[in-house]
Amino acid sequence: MPITIHPPKPPRPLISDNLPSDDSDSDSDTSIGGVDLGLPPKKRLTQFTSSPYTGIVTPGEIITPDPQWMRGHGTYIPPQTTDITSSLAGTITRTNKLISVRPLRARYTPEVGDLVVGRIVEVQAKRWRVDVGSTQLASLPLSAINLPGGILRKRTETDELQIRTFFAEGDLLVAEVQQLFQDGGAVLHTRSLKYGKLRNGAFVAVSGMGGGGGVVRSRRQAWTMEGANGAGQIDVCLGVNGYVWISKHVETPAELEGGGKTAAGITNMEENVSATMYSSQNDKVDTETMREIARLRGVITALVENGLRVDEEMLNRGYHEAVEMAMVDWNGPDDIYLGGERGEMLAAALTGK
Amino acid sequence: MASQIHVNLSPAELAYLHASLSLTPPIRPDGRSPDQYRPLSAETGILPGTNGSARICFADGTEAIVGVKAEVEKTGRRWDDDTIFLEGGGDDEEGGDKEKGSTQQGGNKEWVELTVEIPGQRDDDSATVFLAQMLSEALLADGGFVERLKINRGWHWKLYLDILLISPPLSYPLPLLSLTTHLALLSTRLPRLKSEGDEDPFFDDDWAAAPYLYPRDKKARPPVTLLVMAVGNNIIFDPAKEELAVADVVLAVSVADVADRKGKGVEDEDMDVDGRKLKLLSIRTVDPPSRLTPPGVPNASNTAYGHASAGATQQKMPEARAVESEAVEGVWKAPRGGAKLAVMGALVQKVLQKGGVADEVLDALEAVDLS
Amino acid sequence: MTDRRRINGPAGTTIPPIFEDTSNKEDANSVKGRTRAPDAVRKMFLRTGVTPTASGSAYLEYESSAKSGVSGIKLSCTVHGPRSLPRSSPFSPHIVLSTHVKYAPFATKQRRGYLRDPSERDLGTHLETALRGAIIADRWPKSGVDIIISVIEGDQDRASSGPQSDETWDMMNVLSGCITVASAALADAGIDCVDTVAGGVAALVQGPSEDTPPSVVVDPIPSEHERILGACCIAYLPTRDEVTNLWFKGDLPASEMDLYTKLVENGILASASASKVLVDCLKDALA
Repeated sequence: MPITIHPPKPPRPLISDNLPSDDSDSDSDTSIGGVDLGLPPKKRLTQFTSSPYTGIVTPGEIITPDPQWMRGHGTYIPPQTTDITSSLAGTITRTNKLISVRPLRARYTPEVGDLVVGRIVEVQAKRWRVDVGSTQLASLPLSAINLPGGILRKRTETDELQIRTFFAEGDLLVAEVQQLFQDGGAVLHTRSLKYGKLRNGAFVAVSGMGGGGGVVRSRRQAWTMEGANGAGQIDVCLGVNGYVWISKHVETPAELEGGGKTAAGITNMEENVSATMYSSQNDKVDTETMREIARLRGVITALVENGLRVDEEMLNRGYHEAVEMAMVDWNGPDDIYLGGERGEMLAAALTGK
Repeated sequence: MASQIHVNLSPAELAYLHASLSLTPPIRPDGRSPDQYRPLSAETGILPGTNGSARICFADGTEAIVGVKAEVEKTGRRWDDDTIFLEGGGDDEEGGDKEKGSTQQGGNKEWVELTVEIPGQRDDDSATVFLAQMLSEALLADGGFVERLKINRGWHWKLYLDILLISPPLSYPLPLLSLTTHLALLSTRLPRLKSEGDEDPFFDDDWAAAPYLYPRDKKARPPVTLLVMAVGNNIIFDPAKEELAVADVVLAVSVADVADRKGKGVEDEDMDVDGRKLKLLSIRTVDPPSRLTPPGVPNASNTAYGHASAGATQQKMPEARAVESEAVEGVWKAPRGGAKLAVMGALVQKVLQKGGVADEVLDALEAVDLS
Repeated sequence: MTDRRRINGPAGTTIPPIFEDTSNKEDANSVKGRTRAPDAVRKMFLRTGVTPTASGSAYLEYESSAKSGVSGIKLSCTVHGPRSLPRSSPFSPHIVLSTHVKYAPFATKQRRGYLRDPSERDLGTHLETALRGAIIADRWPKSGVDIIISVIEGDQDRASSGPQSDETWDMMNVLSGCITVASAALADAGIDCVDTVAGGVAALVQGPSEDTPPSVVVDPIPSEHERILGACCIAYLPTRDEVTNLWFKGDLPASEMDLYTKLVENGILASASASKVLVDCLKDALA
């Protein structure tokens, strides 16, 4: 069926679980006309002293007046008091003595050490401006990239004039956040073999960080997985900022020579890898791998649309689930469409397990 | 103009997308089949102050609302109108002859005013104007639409179609706007006329008695514009932004269901009772954003490639020059030249074929509940 | 409130007197309809280098019809560029094309204003699509080129007393002229192109009576035909045999797709004729 038109979804019924539940039920049943403004009393969580209260707060709600807690992101202390008050609408998180409020949906805020996938939007004199989905463009200085020809190659004026040969507008790269400016802007670097320009694959942008959905910071942001149905190995790189890159795994010459072993001297490795580091020429990707890459992309989109978190474990499970679904589906394993209803089925299967 | 949508993709991504879409069958980035539309939700009758309204949301979050309002306007009598001095004689000559009817309505294009508003763009921006012209062209192409707006000899309805794109344009908004306009027109009702003949018109106040502009029992329907693109030999419908960025040719084709024609019996025999007779109203090529994409640099001429061995760079120089104009596999190059006639013909054929995408889209729109 | 002190005119609106077209009445019957063959285009005059201050320029004229009062098309095109983009604009790896089509206020029967109206912007968009396919854009990064076309005479039937028919058909003729003249001006300006572009129009016209099948004619003048059912304007690259822009408008049943194909093929024929004139003109200019 080429086109499916749905009627619009009815509005979700209001779930009032923050209200003290006893009064509201009885009131709403017996009231005839008029609106029951069952406003909750001003929330003062006096039971917070020892046990943590994890719940949803809104800006202005006092979390705790106890001065033993330290305040983190998303909170503030009004002057002349010691009450930690929330400044965002989100969930309270507590790590040791630190209380912070994590918003349900917010733009990505960079932290030092994050692995991010970014797109170059501007080329300036000695640096690039990179879009990482944050409030500000991140900057990648020319001194922070690996110049082809080895790690010890001196940066010359020619490099500055030929800056577009390294990264031009629109290029995708994977980098790490090295430091943060005062205003929250990030400074990136690609001084490692696993960072650099991205090719041989497809890009997905996942929006909304924090809360239940979106890409979460986990132990492994980039890994290689086996594709099903005869596809080769597929690299997945989940940027913490919500940008994801899925590509065909290309054997580096070092790996090939060493027969899969990551031996070889440091200088050799540098030279071998840097040959293709700034290439924008794709290698041949076969049909099966392309199909599986598209399937993975669909899995990520389905996870996000249904509010599930996106990390290695969920993605692996989701992918295997999707492959199984396609097997039993009447369209055959070639059917990779995971939008709309099929995405919901996939999410249901994952949460049900 | 599709090229206005700023597409920011790297040459590597573009080359990958192009390779993916050139396969047989093509593998689209979101896994749809070539003629599959993204799921959308549609509703009509959302604006009680209008004669007709509709709202469509695509799965990617783009949304459009169309409102149709009608006003009664006096038909300016033309200075060359032969029937001025005839009391009622003008009507006799009309008969069933469409020819005379259209000459009587001189400036009938002005009876429909269509405006498109896209957030972030001025209304005299060339892309917005192109969209507005395309949509109004489809509506006015056959001349039959303005016939419905006639009240009597001296009065007519002036229809204002206001198309609003609510979300910022993520992808080329033409199919969304066209489907929404189609639905809004389907749900448009004009008050029932109570006056007779050529007297000043007055209408029934009962809105429930108002007939539809396109009566449900007749076959005629408003036009719909489909966006279709080709990559290599593959024809792809409802392209997403990334797919448009690698298109070889993009066409906007407007089709409509033909009204019951009296007299042309020959074609009726071929047509089965439930089948649709489509007619082609307009075709426009849309400038694909693929022409504005940055080119990739093949490894042979990439100065940042393979610096490890200094000696090899010398050998690469003559090759580099030769490679500049040739297409290297895996390297993206913006398309040059135009499209072959055969490819365009195949695109149009695919849209119009019986039981094809146009039929399915019109059927699906038909099934939307009109409130 | 009637004014009783004076002798008043009629209360409502009046219609000005209509005079019979004596001059055209005799000619109308004899020269009605098209005198050219269905596949013959009007004669064209094309010359480049008419505006010395511009990087490139060209002037195009289509001949008027044999019937008196039907004017031809007169177009003037100037090309400025390639020139560098302003500092504030973002980096562009290819040339930035901007087209500007404007009817002179006196060009058509109904006077047009000084500001561009939507139909002129629409023509500009069509022209841009047609030319973009021909220009080798990535040879000129960070540059822009401006193409400005003035329509001095817009191919309309001035003497006709009939109602103004749909002016889209006239616009299609003007568009095909714009494409040809812009291509000549681009070549005059020395901008690399893969091929010359030429524009051509073909129309589906109704036969003498309702029952005869419609016929396809090339380079139509709307006043010469009883009724135009559909028309298409094509921008064609003759050496590469490719189409960069196609604009079709009309009313064609889907069951008669072979008519559509015939229409497009004739449009290409018209473009091919125009491109011959274009190539001859460019060669003359170089000689």
